[in-house]
Amino acid sequence: MTLSLSQVLSSHQDQLLNHWLHDLSQAAADSGLNPAHPELMEPLRALFWAIIAQLNQEPAQQPNQTPSQASAHAPDQPAPLASERSEQQAALKTELQQLIAKQARLQRNLSDTLGFLLHLKHLVLKALLAAEAHDPTDRSILWLDHCFEQIARQAFDSALAERDRYISEQSLSIMELSTPVLRLWHQILLLPLVGVIDTGRARQVTDHLLEAIAKYEARVTVIDLTGVPIIDTSVAQHIMKTVDAARLLGSRVVLTGISPEGAQTLTKLGIRFGDVISRASLRAGIAEALLITGKRISAMDGGAR
Amino acid sequence: MNEPASIERLPIRTHNDIVTARHAAREHSARLGFGRAYQTRLATAVSELTRNVIQYVGEGSCLIEDQVDAQGCSIRVTVEDHGPGIPDLALAMADGFSTSGGLGAGLPGTRRLVDQFQISSEPGLTRIVISIHKAP
Repeated sequence: MTLSLSQVLSSHQDQLLNHWLHDLSQAAADSGLNPAHPELMEPLRALFWAIIAQLNQEPAQQPNQTPSQASAHAPDQPAPLASERSEQQAALKTELQQLIAKQARLQRNLSDTLGFLLHLKHLVLKALLAAEAHDPTDRSILWLDHCFEQIARQAFDSALAERDRYISEQSLSIMELSTPVLRLWHQILLLPLVGVIDTGRARQVTDHLLEAIAKYEARVTVIDLTGVPIIDTSVAQHIMKTVDAARLLGSRVVLTGISPEGAQTLTKLGIRFGDVISRASLRAGIAEALLITGKRISAMDGGAR
Repeated sequence: MNEPASIERLPIRTHNDIVTARHAAREHSARLGFGRAYQTRLATAVSELTRNVIQYVGEGSCLIEDQVDAQGCSIRVTVEDHGPGIPDLALAMADGFSTSGGLGAGLPGTRRLVDQFQISSEPGLTRIVISIHKAP
């Protein structure tokens, strides 16, 4: 007689868990894995039970069917069992996601996580082969293979999703950071542009600026381009549109911070900023803005300090 | 003395690749000792050409080659795509012409930014080669 996978598992699961966690914390030199971080032990333990539950779902004896077929569409399975199975799959997915998220926070590689999972497969397979001294059934081994294949795929997907989330979070915060509209003085706004100006950012910058102009009734806006590495025709066009929109709201625009090389490049490109006021430095631009609004900076009375 | 030429091939698929390509162009020109004005001009030219690739075709490549010999040093940049091609080259090279609502300064402006400019376009292959030179 042969033992089924779930029979083997039920008699060996504690031993398997301890063996697995022990191996991961030691990270045998020949495995090429980095040892698992102590913080991972809890999620790994939870994941282990979810995997065991999944493995226990081995389809009942259906000689001419491979496990994948059996799980793909099991019309003759009773309904409660099917829903239970999908619940278990969801639980497994959640545990995996938590593990992956934790690994990502600890800045570990996906390959380590996959290594952990495949090591468990190795241990289960060994236990299975040892127990089934008689005639190891192909079905159990195929099922084991199928399960871990799915788990590995899910782990990969989770890791990618995790990374995507991280990237979009970062680009969002960079966007937020890099488009501040500063109130420099009464009726004077400062918009320091930093970095790459693409269509999305240009739109955002314009939105922020126009709102601020309306809110503060700004008469002058200083747009500082010191932090824009390259001004090509596309960037120039975005800036011009922003300038035009600001003018419609009654704010004059002073451009500052175009480098000597940048100025030369712009004229070679044939781009004209027409009648936009431009000053070489932010300092000169601020002086111009004060002049337009009829203010000036002067020394305090008796202030020969 | 011919130093081995340094060659860099960059795929152009996303907006980020524009930044990568012009950064590489700037680095190449800085390494060969071009002045800041030249660096900016080459980087801007690469930015224009690769942006065209993204805007009109969506995918292409950018090849940057350094050449150092007795006549001085030069950098040649080849931007290629396999899009539909430019139907009227003379019109595309004219100032103020644009099919996309842009400024129409991209191609003619780029030609003024660099020392040499060659363009060939047919359906399936558009190739633009630009280069800058510096005496030794």
